Amino acid sequence: MAQDTLTQQLRASPTDAWIRDIRQRYPVEPAIDEVMTRKLVNRRKGLEHVSDFSGLHERLTAYLQRATDQPQLSLANLKRLSGGASKEQFTFDLTWKDASNQRVTRPLILRMDPSESVVETHRLREAQILKAMVGQVPVPEVLWVDPEPDALGHPFLIAGFLQGTVMPEGTTKASGVGLMFPEKYRNALGGQFVDHMAGIHTLDWRRHDLSAFAKPAPGTVDGTQWTVALWERVWQEDTFEAHPVMEYAAEWLRRNMPVIDQPVVVHGDYRSGNFMFTPDLRINAILDWELAHLGDHHEDLSWASMTLTGAVADDGTRLASGMIPRERFFERYRELTGFEIDPRTIFYFDVFNAWKLGLICMATSLRAAYGRRTHLDAMMNLLTGLGYVCVATVQDLLAGQGRRL
Amino acid sequence: MQPEISQFLSSMKKAIEQVVLANLTDRFAQDQAGMIVGTLGFLQGVQDKAFHYELLENHLYRQLLGDLVALVADHDAVAPIRAQLAAESAAPEAHLRPYRALRGANEMLREQLAALIHRQAELPTATAEALDTRLRPFFKDLQLRERAWVRALGFDSLPDPVPDLDALLYRDGRLHLPAKEA
Repeated sequence: MAQDTLTQQLRASPTDAWIRDIRQRYPVEPAIDEVMTRKLVNRRKGLEHVSDFSGLHERLTAYLQRATDQPQLSLANLKRLSGGASKEQFTFDLTWKDASNQRVTRPLILRMDPSESVVETHRLREAQILKAMVGQVPVPEVLWVDPEPDALGHPFLIAGFLQGTVMPEGTTKASGVGLMFPEKYRNALGGQFVDHMAGIHTLDWRRHDLSAFAKPAPGTVDGTQWTVALWERVWQEDTFEAHPVMEYAAEWLRRNMPVIDQPVVVHGDYRSGNFMFTPDLRINAILDWELAHLGDHHEDLSWASMTLTGAVADDGTRLASGMIPRERFFERYRELTGFEIDPRTIFYFDVFNAWKLGLICMATSLRAAYGRRTHLDAMMNLLTGLGYVCVATVQDLLAGQGRRL
Repeated sequence: MQPEISQFLSSMKKAIEQVVLANLTDRFAQDQAGMIVGTLGFLQGVQDKAFHYELLENHLYRQLLGDLVALVADHDAVAPIRAQLAAESAAPEAHLRPYRALRGANEMLREQLAALIHRQAELPTATAEALDTRLRPFFKDLQLRERAWVRALGFDSLPDPVPDLDALLYRDGRLHLPAKEA
């Protein structure tokens, strides 16, 4: 399938020369380059590289015994979770001696890279950003991380498992994208949702160990340049078909990058479905930090409040992440952070985010499903439907604003 | 040639909906089975239109690239497009080719267009603007075609209506291949 042109053949079976060329054409942060290059090399291995979890219990136990220097620790109730389009996730109970030498049992979660994912991300980056956010916003506690594939077959991270839910009872949106929260939830969670984004963006990241992140200089386009290059590289590596609108949008994004005055931690996927809340409607964890990077605060603002990740209330009002009107969202954010919100930069990131979501749905998801490398292959194919809606959105945004298109 | 593809799909969909789903207790398995039902429903709607969809794409991309070659005549970016169009002209008529060959030819045309757009910044301003003017209606048609193709997947809530794929492809009982504008 889809190997009719030389480019399609190279994508399916990347040569060293092609990998070298694509790395040169789309320079990304070093840690990102590492995982993306690994993905291409793994792709050459074909189905022999599909994840095998049959010995996971033993390998995980052995790893934890080494990591804690406690041969007597025990691991129970290892279960694979069904969600997680980008990561393989398992829960388990670990019994071991904690820092105070007390024998304790604690529920934990293992997040592990699949052979090929909807998004290729770096476990060390995820662990560093989670540690940096402790005390700033609610996050799961990271206990162990291994960015190398040796111990379990793939890089992984182990964190505390938190009780809570990501969507109201009875809702059916698999990923949380487009979820509309009932009024009781909107009233309780909408404000907290904005508050935590403000918390993320106001973190003084220079005081934390973020060695796996490239640091953009203030007053430059560095952060956005790396981000656009990353997603353009993803498109070029993963798509089955060229698409003129996606190419056109990439060209427009390269030519119109806004300067970032003060780089902040950008979550990268801040929306409904990526936070957890308790029965008394308190947000107790911000989740899915794997796309976090240092960049422009407008990127998160746009992503959390654009039409594609939002929902429409019964009265026709479009709500950011299904909770709060965009203007109210921005107003509260401005009050909390003191940051400017430039409508032109919001527009830029509306285009960028629709393009990014489009390429995830049309290129990466299909590629992962084609390789039969995830447990959600059927869903990955269906996402093309959302991908074409994203492309239409990109096109309408650019045409509607009198931009060239 | 029996049973028809549509009958196979319809029977599979019914079996999963009424037998498999009704007896599944695991939530993840239920979700997956539901997605398979959705996929089969989608395939029922498009399976007999795939060839004509590609035929229309072939016609429109060739038309567009022919126009762009004339527009950007003296730039080296159009040399591979010329070569591709010549190869297309030398190949059997599009409607006589196997489906796989037609798909491959269309991807070659798409790649050529993408490569030209990638080099748009190198073009003189007036040429780049003329290119834009030609691309605008092409992109709009492309959008409608793609949205019509995936409409049954249920993701599209954009304000302008999505055409029915059947109505988009066929007029007066035959595939409609738009003539070049004067």
